[in-house]
Amino acid sequence: MRSLEFFRNVSIGQYSGGGSAVHRLTPATKYLWLFALSIPAAAGGPIAVVLSLALALAFAVIAGLSPVFFIRGVKPAVPFFFLAAIMQFLFGWPGDSSAVLVAIGPISATLHEAEAVAMAIGRTVSLMAIIGLFTSVTSEAEIAHGVEDFLYPLARLGLPVHRLALVVSETFRFIPVVAMELESIVKAQASRGADFGTGRGGPLAKARAYLPLIVPVTIRALERAEALSEAMEARCYTGRGRTRLVAYARQKGELLVDLSAFIAVAALFAADALLKGVL
Amino acid sequence: MPLIEFQDISYTYPGSKQAALDSLSLSIEEGEYVALVGRNGSGKSTLIRLLDGLRLPTRGEASILDLDPRDPANARALRSAIALVFQAPLDQIVSSVVEEDCAFGPENLGLPRAEIEGRVASALTAVGLGDLRRRQSLFLSAGQQQRLAIAGALAMAPRCIAFDEATAMLDPQARAEVLDLMDSLNAKGMTIVHATHDMAEAARARRVVLLESGRIVYDGAPSGLFLAQECREPPALERGLGLPPAAMAALALGLEALPGEKLPALAARIAGARRGQAASAPAAATCAAEVPAVAPQAATPVAADRRPVFVVGDAGYFYLKGTANEVKALEGVSMSLAAGSVTALVGRTGSGKSTILQLLDGLAFPSAGCVMAFGEDTVAKATDLRRLRMKAPLAIQRPESALFEVYAGDDVAFGPRNQGLSGKALVARVKSAMEKLGLPFEEYRDRGTRGLSGGEKRRLALAGILALEPEALLLDEPTSALDPATRASVLDLVRSLAAAGRTVVFATHSMEEAAMADSVAVVAGGRLAAFGSPAELFYDRYDPAWGIGRPFACELTLELRRLGIPLAPDAHPLDIASLVTAFAAAHGVAAAGAGVGGRA
Repeated sequence: MRSLEFFRNVSIGQYSGGGSAVHRLTPATKYLWLFALSIPAAAGGPIAVVLSLALALAFAVIAGLSPVFFIRGVKPAVPFFFLAAIMQFLFGWPGDSSAVLVAIGPISATLHEAEAVAMAIGRTVSLMAIIGLFTSVTSEAEIAHGVEDFLYPLARLGLPVHRLALVVSETFRFIPVVAMELESIVKAQASRGADFGTGRGGPLAKARAYLPLIVPVTIRALERAEALSEAMEARCYTGRGRTRLVAYARQKGELLVDLSAFIAVAALFAADALLKGVL
Repeated sequence: MPLIEFQDISYTYPGSKQAALDSLSLSIEEGEYVALVGRNGSGKSTLIRLLDGLRLPTRGEASILDLDPRDPANARALRSAIALVFQAPLDQIVSSVVEEDCAFGPENLGLPRAEIEGRVASALTAVGLGDLRRRQSLFLSAGQQQRLAIAGALAMAPRCIAFDEATAMLDPQARAEVLDLMDSLNAKGMTIVHATHDMAEAARARRVVLLESGRIVYDGAPSGLFLAQECREPPALERGLGLPPAAMAALALGLEALPGEKLPALAARIAGARRGQAASAPAAATCAAEVPAVAPQAATPVAADRRPVFVVGDAGYFYLKGTANEVKALEGVSMSLAAGSVTALVGRTGSGKSTILQLLDGLAFPSAGCVMAFGEDTVAKATDLRRLRMKAPLAIQRPESALFEVYAGDDVAFGPRNQGLSGKALVARVKSAMEKLGLPFEEYRDRGTRGLSGGEKRRLALAGILALEPEALLLDEPTSALDPATRASVLDLVRSLAAAGRTVVFATHSMEEAAMADSVAVVAGGRLAAFGSPAELFYDRYDPAWGIGRPFACELTLELRRLGIPLAPDAHPLDIASLVTAFAAAHGVAAAGAGVGGRA
């Protein structure tokens, strides 16, 4: 890969912009389901993990998106799966008395370790698919406004929900800014003889070449942030007493979708507990 | 009661010893149209930020809308009444959706939803973005983004809009749109304050304020700034600001300069003067056909015997290839640039100029076709890209994103160090490069790069390129956002490099600059729309669909021809000095004041 185009590798917000029933749900409902699926995927047993993935893929189908797309999205994480597996097998669990599957010298893979590896991989795949689905059907603006709507009850308790929403939306705004600044500095250096994108050197040398860029890129990002905050202040931003142009109309039956999110969490954990006993 | 009243105010940035504004008094009435001019770092931006109380004077009396800006309770009233539009479009867009960005101000004012909707709709319609309400703001063109910023200001229902070099980063067409918008807003009673480096833009205003080192050195009608008085040079020339091209042409042709005069009016005046002369002295009138031919512009042909430095063969390029947002940036571009030639790349923002420069430098690789630099294929595995890039380095568009070292001297030394230089040889190389750009080595070597002014940053970035002693230079809009004097010094540098036999390729939005080149490449929609000598392109093959405009002298020549005052048929002047020569040759009129016009 000799390309010096960084923006291309930024995959967050691959918003698909469709008009399906899933797309049309209000952002608050999407957030609710994001948590309803990811909590069991992160904290549940194997059944909950598999079922939450299945539910996410079912949503993808309803949204008119290819489930394969979300499974394929896991590809960049594969090297980390290997790393996780090696760490598991290298260091044993205290008091692990399960059967040894394979043993090479002092290093052995026990059943318990293999289970742990499989769970780690399963959880990662599920969570990545769930988050991928969420960003596919939720635009950047909805993600930001959704935080505000979803946390609205907490605003009454004095939590600065408005500001939190702004932080989320500006975070998204700054991803391309940082990528652009990084690209600029890399190109400025490369054109003056720095070794970027020449296809030479090993992966370690390549990674090391980027280290000195952290400071100038950070400074530029801060300068850009300062310019933006000045523009916001000039437009009367104080963080208090704001109203909002965008309102999301709830679809008919959306309350049912909301309630089923709670039912889904309960059902996933229950299925886990029940089926575990059966298996 | 004036809208804004400053009495003897000063402003010093925190941590700085030097006052950015120094005992300045200014009063702006409702409905005025004020241009703010001055060198880079003269205090224009600071003054703009004081207008709405975004920054508070460190000393002196200020009253805005009869309110005291120092009282925090007034902040909201002041900022909603005096709206600001800044230079960089992307640094003032808050939201990812057009209508939501426009609504940001009214939302902050806590207006009810119905009212916000009304304001957003009318503001977006006023700037011509009514159809793009749901568009992603990141995917608008630079000109559209700037109009969105103006819509955001309009949605606040302000009484005054202050523009801080808001046209500096736009192409000619987008710039004209924004300027027309300013004029029409002012015609409806909106107070306009416009900080600019462009004297033609400044001459559109009814009042010009000239700043120098934080002080006002001129405040009055444009005529006083741009017209000679008592046999002295016009103050704008004395202060290194230059003149609007129409005023320059008028003076050069021996007419009175009228500030703010547009091209058709000037042409009509020249025609009128010419007819008057012909009527009073018919014997002196010469028939255009008998006029000896003026030597045509010595456009250096891309000679076959000269070795090409860059050869682009049917090159194509995609941005974000393989993603959902894949964009075709270039398609089927072919050209050959000879050693020692100067080529200007022109075209609208986003047409593909920067991409071509990056392909030439081996910073981007063609997705189709090929790019050869110094006889080497940039894609070939055997090519030593590092060496190739250093032979033809690229100065990227925004200099503030190109500087990465803490100290100015180190930044310039980065390239030569990579070439293996050290010790005395390195210092000598850095010193000579910095001094060529007017940055004395001893004074600037230990200056922090972040603290430099915009003009200094640009010159430092160019010094960093020059320090490589390259065979060719690739410059991406090297004069954008520079004041006229700094701009002239950068152009002089380009000329001297070309004279020394270096190959130069530069992108520009200024057609006067493009006319200086040996050849001009017009890029439109990712394709090479035309390639040829400036005279040929601007006179014979010009297509308004390119969206680039023409040099002033060219437009004036064509307008005069239309009015029945032709120059010799083969006279293709591209600057005012050669226009005057051609005019004198055709019509026997002494080119009075050519000395002034010669500064074109």
